Amino acid sequence: MHRYSHSAARLFFPPTLMFRSHFGAGCRLWHTAIIALGVAAGCLGRTGADEPSAAEPPNALLFESSASGTSVQSILANRCGKCHSETVRKGALNLAKMEGIRTGGETGEDLIADTLDDSYLWTVIDNGEMPPDDQPPLTDPEIEQIKNWIQVGGQSSNQNQTTKVTLDHHDVTPILLLRCNTCHGPQRTDGGLDLRSRESMLTGGDSGPAMVVGQADSSLMIKRIESQQCPPSESLLKFFVRRPSETEIKTLRQWIDSGAKLSTQETDRQGITPDLLVTDQDRQHWAFQPIQPPTHATSIDSLIADKLIDAGLKRSPAAGRDTLIRRAYLDLTGLPPSWQEYQRWHHHQADDWDAQMIDHLLDSPRYGERWGRYWLDLAGYADSEGGISADPLRPLAWKYRDYVIDAFNRDLPYDRFLIEQLAGDELIDVDQADKVTAEMVNNLVATGFLRMSIDETGSRTMNFVPERLKVIDDALAIVSKGLMGLTMECARCHTHKYDPLPQRDYYRLKAVFQGALDEHDWRTFKNRKLSLATKSQRERIKQINPPLEKQLRSLRNKDKQLNQQLTLQLLRDHYPEQSERDHQETLAALRVADNNRSLKQKRLFERLVTAQLMPPDKQSAAITAIETQIEETITAIETLERQLVPSTQIRALWDQGRPSPTYMLLRGEHDKPGAPVSPGVPAVLTDGETPFDARAPFPEGTPKSGRRLAFAKWLVTPQHPLTARVMVNRIWSHHFGTGLVPTIDNFGVQGSPPTHPELLDFLADSFVKSGWSVKAMHRLIMTSKTYQQSSAISKQTAERDPQNLLYSRMNLRRMDAEALRDSLLQLANRLDVTTGGLPDPVSIDRDGQVTAKPNAAGRWRRSIYLQYRRTEIPSMMDTFDYPAMGPNCLTRNVSTVSPQALLLMNNARVRELTDHFAQRILESNNVHGPIEPLIRRTYALALSRQPDQTELQLGKQAIEAFIADSDGDLPKAWQAYCHTLINSAAFLFVD
Amino acid sequence: MPAPTPNRRDFFSNTRDGVFGVALASLLSQDLLGEEPRQQQARRTYDNRPKKPHHAPAATSIIHLFMNGGPSQMDLFDPKPQLDRFNGKPFPGSPEEIGNFGSAGVGVVMGSQYKFQQHGQSGMWMADVLPETASMADELCMIRSMWTDHPNHDNALYKIHSGRLFMGYPTLGSWVAYGLGSENLDMPAYVVLTDPLGWPKNGARNWTAGFLPPVYQGTVFRPTGAPVLNLKPQYQQSDAINQSARELLRQLDQHHVSSRPHQAELGARIESYELAARMQLTASDTLDLNNESQATLDLYGVGKNPTDSFARRCLLARRLVERGVRYVQVFLEEQPWDSHVDLKDNHRSVCQRTDRPVAALLKDLKRMGLLDNTLVIWGGEFGRTPTAQKTGTRFTGRDHNMQAFTSWMAGGGTKGGLTYGETDPFGHKVVEKPVSVHDFHATILHLLGLHHHNLFFPRSGLNERLTGVNEPHVVQEIIA
Repeated sequence: MHRYSHSAARLFFPPTLMFRSHFGAGCRLWHTAIIALGVAAGCLGRTGADEPSAAEPPNALLFESSASGTSVQSILANRCGKCHSETVRKGALNLAKMEGIRTGGETGEDLIADTLDDSYLWTVIDNGEMPPDDQPPLTDPEIEQIKNWIQVGGQSSNQNQTTKVTLDHHDVTPILLLRCNTCHGPQRTDGGLDLRSRESMLTGGDSGPAMVVGQADSSLMIKRIESQQCPPSESLLKFFVRRPSETEIKTLRQWIDSGAKLSTQETDRQGITPDLLVTDQDRQHWAFQPIQPPTHATSIDSLIADKLIDAGLKRSPAAGRDTLIRRAYLDLTGLPPSWQEYQRWHHHQADDWDAQMIDHLLDSPRYGERWGRYWLDLAGYADSEGGISADPLRPLAWKYRDYVIDAFNRDLPYDRFLIEQLAGDELIDVDQADKVTAEMVNNLVATGFLRMSIDETGSRTMNFVPERLKVIDDALAIVSKGLMGLTMECARCHTHKYDPLPQRDYYRLKAVFQGALDEHDWRTFKNRKLSLATKSQRERIKQINPPLEKQLRSLRNKDKQLNQQLTLQLLRDHYPEQSERDHQETLAALRVADNNRSLKQKRLFERLVTAQLMPPDKQSAAITAIETQIEETITAIETLERQLVPSTQIRALWDQGRPSPTYMLLRGEHDKPGAPVSPGVPAVLTDGETPFDARAPFPEGTPKSGRRLAFAKWLVTPQHPLTARVMVNRIWSHHFGTGLVPTIDNFGVQGSPPTHPELLDFLADSFVKSGWSVKAMHRLIMTSKTYQQSSAISKQTAERDPQNLLYSRMNLRRMDAEALRDSLLQLANRLDVTTGGLPDPVSIDRDGQVTAKPNAAGRWRRSIYLQYRRTEIPSMMDTFDYPAMGPNCLTRNVSTVSPQALLLMNNARVRELTDHFAQRILESNNVHGPIEPLIRRTYALALSRQPDQTELQLGKQAIEAFIADSDGDLPKAWQAYCHTLINSAAFLFVD
Repeated sequence: MPAPTPNRRDFFSNTRDGVFGVALASLLSQDLLGEEPRQQQARRTYDNRPKKPHHAPAATSIIHLFMNGGPSQMDLFDPKPQLDRFNGKPFPGSPEEIGNFGSAGVGVVMGSQYKFQQHGQSGMWMADVLPETASMADELCMIRSMWTDHPNHDNALYKIHSGRLFMGYPTLGSWVAYGLGSENLDMPAYVVLTDPLGWPKNGARNWTAGFLPPVYQGTVFRPTGAPVLNLKPQYQQSDAINQSARELLRQLDQHHVSSRPHQAELGARIESYELAARMQLTASDTLDLNNESQATLDLYGVGKNPTDSFARRCLLARRLVERGVRYVQVFLEEQPWDSHVDLKDNHRSVCQRTDRPVAALLKDLKRMGLLDNTLVIWGGEFGRTPTAQKTGTRFTGRDHNMQAFTSWMAGGGTKGGLTYGETDPFGHKVVEKPVSVHDFHATILHLLGLHHHNLFFPRSGLNERLTGVNEPHVVQEIIA
């Protein structure tokens, strides 16, 4: 029997190998016309000498013929040929010919093998995976025939096709990248040696050539590797490498012995390499078709009306003016109108008051803080790296946050917005520039977009290639789902199950980013920052910062001392019998990592924690005094930090001008390289003929691959079928609560088709024609009657349009976390509208409750400026569905759960704010006069409307009851009233 | 496009996630208590109402005693005479296979630190630092062949809780809550009991719902004070005002809802306020140990050092499953089992804190007839190495070992007295009947009546599962 390739993966994989899969077995299974029969077991199954095939089976059991007259070949052609033919090679698999079967698909599994159990072809047939559910199944006799054929070895009459495999450099490059590149590659050339090309191997380093062609035994690199001098033991963890596996060493040897050949195959190139994996039929899916704006209708309302009429419905009546005011304010700014603004629009006389109001709101700096937040969700913004439990802060992430807010406020054209974020570093040659301009800084800050994913590679132990690949995968997922509505990350391990996205396309996209996100040329946390600032910024730093920094240093010292003092005081208070030496040893134990403490240290530490956990009434006055001092010191530090001119550093991403070659990874495993691929875009979005054209953007200047710039430019071509559609759908969904394509993140085959395809295209077309203006899109949508209709559900619309897919009304919506918190702050008159800069500090108590700290004036800034450390999300935000960014969030969950009720009802901070609100009401009017005007004012401020008769009546009764309950304490009564109103559904839900 | 045919499910399918309003619930109760449609829609409601399992369950609730830090298998459950014989000698294999941080710190082989004995009718081996647990040997199903994929706490914790090496995936408890809901609607389905001394390593990520709706994340019941955050008003207001305020809120909301017919989310909101009110009553009652007899308190070791803290949590765990909570997870602070230094003393100290309460929990559950359908799980995120690890100049601890560790289960349809799987003579690697984390999860789901393949959540065109893409193996041999 023959073994065509390795089958180690299906043997029991001992636990040792699972983590050691960093070592793993590397082998390449993608050769097209290169198949050997009868090869020894092991990973290099396709190489080595030919062996004569086993005895010829009877004709009946050959691929091409059968006694019954129907051959396996024809069965496979009939049943599987729709997807796996010579011309359609889904999963890169061609079942039409014996070579195709021997080559296998992109998963690298053996289709035929020694035993039935090891045959992947049999596995997928036997477990019913293939043919897929929507295709006619194989008949029992057909299954039986295939089974018999595999059991006797899966033989073919055509034995001449087998060719001897010769290894070429594509077999060894991935091994060298994985095992040797760190010390002998772009970043270091230890011993003067660079192993990146055949030529440089022959040139060698200080100790001579690394290889002798034809003589592995005499080749220095082989000697060094086999004696385990390389990689050196002490460097394994330092440089995050693992030793090559035995099969990898064998491959290196065989390649050298067989002449260290370079590949003669054509390199993969999009548009030039024959594209058999994606067909024109695949391109028929609606989302891949060009945008086709309707010719018969030119407004949102008429396109919505068409479907309503078909369903025997009509648009709901217009919402009242007050409802519209609240809706528009919360929609565009996330804040209710102030008293004056409410009065202004409520009494506005102009016919186009609504358009004027919308313009007014779009001009407000509060707009960017609202809509920028949506984009930060898409980008997966966080102020920490995540991944490891230490969750280190990302001290410079806020610059990207401010960039986004500013871009929305400026109405930066969306195409430019994308280009800056995807390829800001390839727009201007900063390294060669005479002086730094604000635009350069801006462009590089924008690339922070690609550095938002969870990143654990700053850890002492988690910066191996698989962890780096995870970071890259997250970045690709953000780009493909967020910008194109494609779930490309599904194609990392295998061809997409539903969409025409072959695995190759994932790796082509990865190659686009390889110049900057290179798992073999990784930038450590320290090396991801650029110091870039304009002259004036540098001057200000020089002028302003030094004295502040001096103060900061002394304050930080003071803080340290106070904390020690506190510890000692706690110990002396609670353990008077404990010796001073033990007190000191407790301090020492605090400096030791918890898992390295001796038992004695652990005990001492536990005693300290127990003392710390004693309730405040059990603590001495001395403790309270020190704690107050600590708090004051920290506040002083935080205040000073915010007075510093921000650092010149930018957390950016840039092309290093030397991308490593990109290989497909079989099953997504980092040590199972497949075919080399060149950069490209999803083939289904091309005509299959146009090459991906990446050029160095600065041919005379700093070397850069230009791949991301080419990708970004392709993405924003006006004809791109996805970019504009995906964005207008996103804007629509934030206005209406649902998208025209309900699956915001998936425009693929498994996504929901648009409820209003013509409207989607009308909007997308308008968007592009407006110069990609997001603000113009808001105006278009918000001035429509569709947007301005009432959210009331009639019996008729409930019956005929239960899910509101036809937009027969506006959707009622719950405020999100930011709108809720910011509204509360504004009502309480505690909102500080200062923009930008360092995120606002939070404190975390022993129950894990995370609270935003007020500034010196007892105020808070908007929620977007809070510090979002992944492990310390402010509790109020978390409770109201602030998302865990993993890696990002395209649609927030909207939950309605009891912890929200508990928080609004019982939380001290919420109560404090509503008390301030009550105070405002009382200050606004004669408190001893009639109650009604005060109730009206409360409603106007909180809900931007007047109370109806019932509400007025309920309010009056309640106030009177509260006054009675509190023995005439007016402030108490109004506090209870305002707190209750804030808890009511009318406040939380927007009509 | 033709108008969609209205039906009751469609009507409510854009209800916001969460619990239904009372009126809506009665309309829907037939549907909700009937077979869950497995073909889920893009937007559906997510709640804690009880769901039908996929098959008849052996266990209806779980108590997961999580042993953070990685208890040492060769010192507690997996005796290795060979290891003892090599005590003090170099490890006979490649040190690179042992060391997680390079081979430099790998020291000599360290024999078991405690004496082993066989216990019960089954003759199960256990070290003498666990005398109370040993007395329950015939109830335990000891799995000595667990292994995982990463030697770092962070990743191994993600793995053991969520089946993935990375953060952001739903944990076992939230999958169970999602799949089965709760038997008691006044309580969360998934409750976490943390140590007053502090949270475990990785904190709330040990009980996150990941991409599942947040209603399925673990709810921390605080060890002291009010059990749930914001459970009681944190401001001064007289009862009279409180009562008037509640009445005002009720009337305002009723007025609001009645003027907005058919708005399902408004009903859900009212329900959430009602559940909040019920929780204020029941949660405090559940956590009140004063109703327990002195004998029970003594059995667990409540009020005695050093057992008090863990004993309270074990007893609370019983009170919670007794009241229909689906999944209770008990944690220790930070990672007490992580003994790189002074393993002998450190492990003994953790055993002294936990041994008695754990055994008491089993006895108590058994006495009350709850053990048959309560699955108790004991274990950490990985095991420890056969060699001693160098810290400073001393070799007194063991490093992390992802290649083998021991966990045990009891009750809930498992085979008592069974010892399953085998490690090599050094206790370093699994050699017989390996149980991966996915296998472990699939087996737990199976005991709860859930099939790992049919428990999924659609996300971006992919059906996400706890046990990932590759088919796990339900360990039938440990099931009674």
